[in-house]
Amino acid sequence: MILTRGLAGPSITLMLVCGVLVYYFAAYSREQVETKLVRIASDHRQLVDQFLEERLSDLQFAAFFYSIAEISDPKRLTELFRRLLSRSRAFFDLGVFDEKGNHLAYAGPFDLAGKNYAETEWFKAVEREGRYISDIFLGYRNIPHFIIAIRRDEGDRTWYLRATVDTLFFNDLVENIRVGKSGEAYLVNRKGILQTRRRSGGRLMETDSDYGFYRINKDRVASFFTGKYSDHRYLYAVESLKQTGWDLVVRQEVSDAFAPLTRAVLVAVFVIAAGGAVVVIMAYILASGLANRLTLADIEKQQMKTQLIMAGKFAEIGEMSTGLAHEINNPLQVMKAERMLIQELISDVEKNNPSIDPDNMGLIKDSVEQIDIQIERCSRITQGLLNFARKTEAVMKPVTMQEFLPEMVRMIEQKALLENVRIIQKIESELPPLMSDPNQLQQVFLNLLNNAIHALRGKDSAEIRINASHEDAFIEVSIADNGCGISPENMERIFLPFFTTKPPGQGTGLGLSTVYGIVKGLGGEITATSELNAGSVFNLHLPLESVGKEENTD
Amino acid sequence: MATIQLLLVDDEERFLNTTKILLEKRGIVTFTATNGADALKTMNEHRIDVVILDVKMPGIDGLEVLRKTKQKHPLVEVIMLTGHATVESAVEGLKLGAFDYVKKPCDISDLIPKVNEAYDKKHAMEEKIRKALIDKIIRHPMAVFEKEN
Repeated sequence: MILTRGLAGPSITLMLVCGVLVYYFAAYSREQVETKLVRIASDHRQLVDQFLEERLSDLQFAAFFYSIAEISDPKRLTELFRRLLSRSRAFFDLGVFDEKGNHLAYAGPFDLAGKNYAETEWFKAVEREGRYISDIFLGYRNIPHFIIAIRRDEGDRTWYLRATVDTLFFNDLVENIRVGKSGEAYLVNRKGILQTRRRSGGRLMETDSDYGFYRINKDRVASFFTGKYSDHRYLYAVESLKQTGWDLVVRQEVSDAFAPLTRAVLVAVFVIAAGGAVVVIMAYILASGLANRLTLADIEKQQMKTQLIMAGKFAEIGEMSTGLAHEINNPLQVMKAERMLIQELISDVEKNNPSIDPDNMGLIKDSVEQIDIQIERCSRITQGLLNFARKTEAVMKPVTMQEFLPEMVRMIEQKALLENVRIIQKIESELPPLMSDPNQLQQVFLNLLNNAIHALRGKDSAEIRINASHEDAFIEVSIADNGCGISPENMERIFLPFFTTKPPGQGTGLGLSTVYGIVKGLGGEITATSELNAGSVFNLHLPLESVGKEENTD
Repeated sequence: MATIQLLLVDDEERFLNTTKILLEKRGIVTFTATNGADALKTMNEHRIDVVILDVKMPGIDGLEVLRKTKQKHPLVEVIMLTGHATVESAVEGLKLGAFDYVKKPCDISDLIPKVNEAYDKKHAMEEKIRKALIDKIIRHPMAVFEKEN
């Protein structure tokens, strides 16, 4: 919860900021890429337009200076052709035609004079328009070329000058445009037929399948359109040529055009994600550490509280036990005295009346005996209560655990053997002697060991582990069994007087309470941990110098 | 040998009566008192050898009675009778000069030997004092008059 709340605010803000930055950066970059394409298209369109314009002017200029008579002279025409070639190597040949389309003269590598062109498309166009630039075609020569033709009105006569222009010029000019890895340029005529070769495929005179797509945006000077062509998406910049109505198309694969952008965005996203991840991980580690510490502190607090409550409860019960024991001991004392008196009176009666019924006298004696037994029983219970409340006298003597504990084990060995319980002792050999009451300690250990054996009844591979070690001014002894364990509800009450899980009549429930009272009385501590069906551990923490010692030696 | 004169102090009247019968049967002259004040009064009026004193009583506490007894009658031996065998009160009692202590409930048969022991101790002490006095008188006969002061 802390984690989610702590992280949500900052990370959302960070993501928003980063997202906005990346978005504007991407938009800007995209615009840059597009502008670049438009510029390339526009520049080259101008070049091509200029070229066409120049060639047209060349022809017009030539036609203006010659009369039909002069220009029909092959020598003069060849002369003119040579001069035109000096202006531009693109000229391929030159022809003169009369108004009927008859080829009057020709200068060039082929012998084409004498043919009539009246029905050809270009002738009709130039007759009508006065000037004409054809689309590229292969013609007789099977070489891609196009025609520039102009009409000359000389007095009442009209004649035509036609030049063939090599398209290699276009191919070089347009084809050499390279943008990025896949960027290319080409020309298409009004019908979408390629006028130059296209590097990525598309020979001269082939139809551009994408033509329809980018023609839609034709009314704009430069338009962008990404069309689907096979598997690739392209970015198009289209500029129309003034002279011919052709389109100069510059196109680049979208993935290529935006590759740097994509890379930059990817890097940015990666950096943001990695940074975010680092922040989240750090925050998680910190927060979970904190949470763990809080949980631990909580548990500790709970334990402290429980211990305090237990201590308070124990003190209260101790107080009550003492009072109860005292209040019961007094009447027991009276009963004892009465019983004694009865016994003596019976003896007297028997002595004075020898004739008295011996059977009844026997019964009375037996009854009195029983009263004595029951008084003893009550007395044991009150003694147990007093033991819990630590109101018994301790007789302090040095006890060496490495001798004392094996002795305790020997005392219950026979019983353990019968129950198939293995006892494993791990006692440090260098334990210092401990000032304590051996009789009371014996009571403690016999109680704990007997309980352990009881908990192991009918268990396979049953064992009791006794560990004893030395720590500062204390001896630590633990008695662990792998028996039936104690349920958490019972755990709180095991040290209370009269708490027992044994069937009625089999245990007074004073065993562990006595152990508790004795250990406390000797200045030690006893704690227990247990897991149901896994076993229990009793830990004893006994001071080397008992607190109780002072009271006794004074 | 003179009979033992015993004072039994307890707030349980029935216990006093019954125990008195039992003790008298054994030849011990027994006085009883149900509280500390009566006990101290009885000690002033009669020669008492041994006191059996309940530690916990209403009115003057057993330990207080013990203290006063030891002040006024230092030779009287006191056996403490305690309902809760408290180390504290037993040790306190022994510190104040009690002869011994017995946990309740106890048998009269357990009590008698202790009474005898206590009496013997007192008797021995009295003998010693008498002897010392005699010695003193023999050495300084005038001391007899000093004592009477």
